[in-house]
Amino acid sequence: MDCNRRAFIRRMGTAGLISTSGIAPAVWSRAAAAAPRQGTAAADRILVLIQLAGGNDGLNTVVPFADDAYYRARPGIGISESSLLKLNDTLGLHPQMVGFKELYDEGRLSVVQGVGYANPDRSHFRSMDIWQSARLTVDGSMDGWLGRALDQGIDQHVGTVPAMSLGTGRLPLSLVGHKVTVPTIRDLNTYRLQLGPRPAANQGLFRSTIGGYVAEPHAGDRQLEFLRQATDAALTTADSIQKISQEYRETVPYPASDLGGKLKLVAQLISGDLGTRIFFVSLGGFDTHAQQQQSHLALLNELSSAVRAFYRDLKGHGHSDRVVLATFSEFGRRVAENGSLGTDHGAASQLFVVTPGQQAGIHGRHPSLTQLIQGDLRHHTDFRSVYATLLERWLDIPSQPVLGQQFPLLDFI
Amino acid sequence: MTAADSSRVLKPYSPSGRWTEIEAGHLLRRAGWNSGPDGIRRAVSEGLRATLRRVLTTQVETTEFTQASGLLHRVALETGEIDNLKAWWLYRMANSVNGLTEKMVLFWHNRFATSYAKVRSVEHMADQHALIRRHALGSFRQLLHGMSQDVAMLIWLDGNANRKRHPNENFARELMELFSLDVGNYTERDIQEAARAFSGWHVRNDEFWFNRLQHDDGQKTVLGQTGAWGGRDVVEICLSQPACPRFLARRLYETFVSPTVPEADLDVLAQRVQVHGYQLRPVLAELLGSELFFADEARHALIKSPLDLLVGSLRGLEVRPNLDNVVRLLRELGQDIFEPPTVKGWEGGRMWISSASMLQRANAAAELAFGEELGQPADPLQTLKRYEVERDADVCGHYTRLLLGRPPSEALQRTLVDFYSQVQGDRSIKVRHLLHLIMTLPEFQTM
Repeated sequence: MDCNRRAFIRRMGTAGLISTSGIAPAVWSRAAAAAPRQGTAAADRILVLIQLAGGNDGLNTVVPFADDAYYRARPGIGISESSLLKLNDTLGLHPQMVGFKELYDEGRLSVVQGVGYANPDRSHFRSMDIWQSARLTVDGSMDGWLGRALDQGIDQHVGTVPAMSLGTGRLPLSLVGHKVTVPTIRDLNTYRLQLGPRPAANQGLFRSTIGGYVAEPHAGDRQLEFLRQATDAALTTADSIQKISQEYRETVPYPASDLGGKLKLVAQLISGDLGTRIFFVSLGGFDTHAQQQQSHLALLNELSSAVRAFYRDLKGHGHSDRVVLATFSEFGRRVAENGSLGTDHGAASQLFVVTPGQQAGIHGRHPSLTQLIQGDLRHHTDFRSVYATLLERWLDIPSQPVLGQQFPLLDFI
Repeated sequence: MTAADSSRVLKPYSPSGRWTEIEAGHLLRRAGWNSGPDGIRRAVSEGLRATLRRVLTTQVETTEFTQASGLLHRVALETGEIDNLKAWWLYRMANSVNGLTEKMVLFWHNRFATSYAKVRSVEHMADQHALIRRHALGSFRQLLHGMSQDVAMLIWLDGNANRKRHPNENFARELMELFSLDVGNYTERDIQEAARAFSGWHVRNDEFWFNRLQHDDGQKTVLGQTGAWGGRDVVEICLSQPACPRFLARRLYETFVSPTVPEADLDVLAQRVQVHGYQLRPVLAELLGSELFFADEARHALIKSPLDLLVGSLRGLEVRPNLDNVVRLLRELGQDIFEPPTVKGWEGGRMWISSASMLQRANAAAELAFGEELGQPADPLQTLKRYEVERDADVCGHYTRLLLGRPPSEALQRTLVDFYSQVQGDRSIKVRHLLHLIMTLPEFQTM
C-alpha cells in the first residue's frame, strides 16, 4: 500500500503537480521529515472528522452515573446505572455503544470532557459556524479551520486532493479555504472515469485516445499545460481508485447505515492512496427536543457500530495506525430534561477521539452538574485546544497560524 | 500632457482586423456563454460593431422564456426552497438572449457574495438578486448604495449588531476590502470610523430600518475626510478614492480578459471607469471592443468556472436542461449559486482545478454526450443537417469550432479525426462519442 502511495506521489511529482519548482511545499515536507510518532510518518497520517449535527446530548452519551444530580435532572430519560457500559467508577457509555466500549478496552478511544467555548451560543447555525470556523466572533471571512490549514500548504499543491467531504450536501465550513477547493464525494462513481456506452471497443478507444493525448506536453501554452497535467493526474487517479475498489474487500461487514456506508467509502479511498489527509463525514439528527430515547439510541448505535467496523476494516488493511478519528457537535444539551422527554440546546459537552492508542482514556474532569451557567454545563477546555492538538500532534501543521493564537495542547495524542 | 496620457483610451479593435468565427466566438463566449453556430454566424455577418451593440442592448426575450422564468421564480418564492431559486437563475443563464446581463449578475453576485446559508430567506436572497439585476449593466454607484441597505446583506454582515455604543465592523470592513477598494487602500482606523457611520442601519420587519437611537451621529474621519458622516457619505467617500475605479477595473479585467492584469492596462481601464462615472455599459462597450480584449494573450486565458462549463455546454449543444440535476452538479463542482463559500466569493481560476474536479468535469461531459440526467441534448443528426455539415470530414471541424472556439493543433486534429473514424456505430453514435472526447479535453476547460 505504502509503495502504491509513493508511486502515486512520484507520478504526481513528475506530472509537475506536487511542485512546479521541484521543491516540496514547506508544510507538507516538514511533515514528511518529522520523526515518526506512534509508528506512522506524519505525511501518511489521516484525520477523519465526524460531525454530529444537531447538538449531541453528551450527558446521555457518556453518563456520569455516580452523580445523583444526573438522575435528579433526568427523571424521565436518565439511563440506569445497571444498563451502562462502564468506563470507570463514575462514567458509563450509553448501552448501545458496544463498539465504542470495545475501542475503549483496546486503548484506542479517548473521551475528552468539558469541551466548549466562552459565552456559548445556543443557535445551531451560529454555534456550528463557531466550531467549524474556530472563531468565536464570526467575521466576514467565513473560512474553516481545516480550510485554513490546507491553505497553508496548498500553493504548490494545486491539483491534488488534500481533503474530501463525503456526502451530497454543501461543503462544510470547516473545509472552506481561500486557496483550496475541496471536492464533495458522493460515491466511488465520482472517481470512476465514465467511458461512455458499450461496445467495450469504443470505451477502450476513448480511454486510450484521451490518455495518449494528455500524455504529451503542450509547449508554449502554460494554462493548457497546467490543465493537461491535471487531466493526466485525474485519469491516473481514477485508474488507481478503480483498481482498489475492484480489489477492495472489506475485512469486516459494515452496518447498513448511512454512516456505515460513508466510512466504508473513506476506507476505500484511504486504500486508494490519493494522498488525502482529511476526510469529513456528517451524521445528522441529534437535535432531540422530544421523546429522545429511541432516536438518540439509534444514532449512537449508528455512530458506534460504524466506527467500530471502520477501525476493524482499517486494521485488516494495515491502515489503522494511520488514522485518527474525532467527533464534534455544535453543543451539548441542557442538563435538565424538558417536559416532552427530550432536551434543549445546551453548551459544553464531551467529544470522542479514536487514536492509534497509548494515550487513550478519559481526558479532563466531568464538568459539575450543579454549578451550571443558565442550566448548562460549564466548559473547562476550549475546543480549539482539541484542534491544536490534532493539527500539531497528528497532522504536524503549526496550529497558531490556523487558530490565531497558541492553545494548550491536550494529551490524547 | 504626454504620449502616455493621450493613449489613455482603450484602443478599439481595428475594424480591418480579423473578424471570423473565431473572434466572434471569443466575444460571444465571454460576453455571455456559448451562442451556438447561429449566433456566431450572425455575428460574423453583422460585424464587430453591430454585434457589440446588440450584446450591450437589452434584447426582447421570447414569450416562452418570459413565462417559464416567471413561473420558476414564483415557485421559488412560494416554496421557500433556495434550490428552486437556483434553478430559476440557471434557467435564465441557459436560455436568455441577454447573456451579458446574466454574466454581469453573476459578476456582482461574486463581488457581493452573500449566502443563503446565513440569510435563511429565499425572499431576501431574491430581493438582493433583483437589486443586482437592476444595476447589472448600470451604475456601480447606485448598486453600492443599494447594497449597503439591502436586507440580505445586512443580515449577512451583521447590520443589527452595529449599534452606537458597540459598532460592528463587519460591513464597513467588507465595503472597503471586497466591495470597493481592495486591501492596502485603507487603515483599520478607517474601518472603525466607517463602522460608526453605518451604526443603526438595521433590519426590522424584513425591511431596512434606520434606527435613529442606535446611530452614532458624531464626527468621523474616514479616509482623510472629517464630518458627521452617515452611511451614504462613507459609500461616496469610498467611490471618490482613486483605488475604487482600479478595484472595479481589476475585477472586470480578470473576468473578461485575463487573470494576469498588466499595471499599464489596469491604469487605462481604471481611467475609463472613472470617465464613465461608474456606468458599466459604456465601460464594457470599450473593453469588449478593444485590442486588449482580442489580443492573443487574452484568448483562452480564462479557466472555465463550473457555470461557464455547464451553461456553455447546455447552450452549445442545445440541451433542455434538467435544472435540479444541474443545480446539484454545480454544487458538487463547487459553484453553488446563492451559497458562495465565503464573503470573498469564488476564488476561481486554477483553484477550480484538481484531479477530483477534472474527473467530475469529464464525467459531466459523458453525461451530456450520452445521458439524460442533465437534460435532453438535441439530436446531433438534426443539428448537423441544420448546419449543413454533410461530409464526415467536416464533423470534427464543426464541433471543435463550436465547443473549443479555437483551431485545433495538428496533433489534436489528428487525434480527433482518428478517433471519429475508428469509433463504432452509426453517425449519431459516432458524433456523441466525439462530443464526449472534445468535452474531456484540457482545451475545453478554457475560454
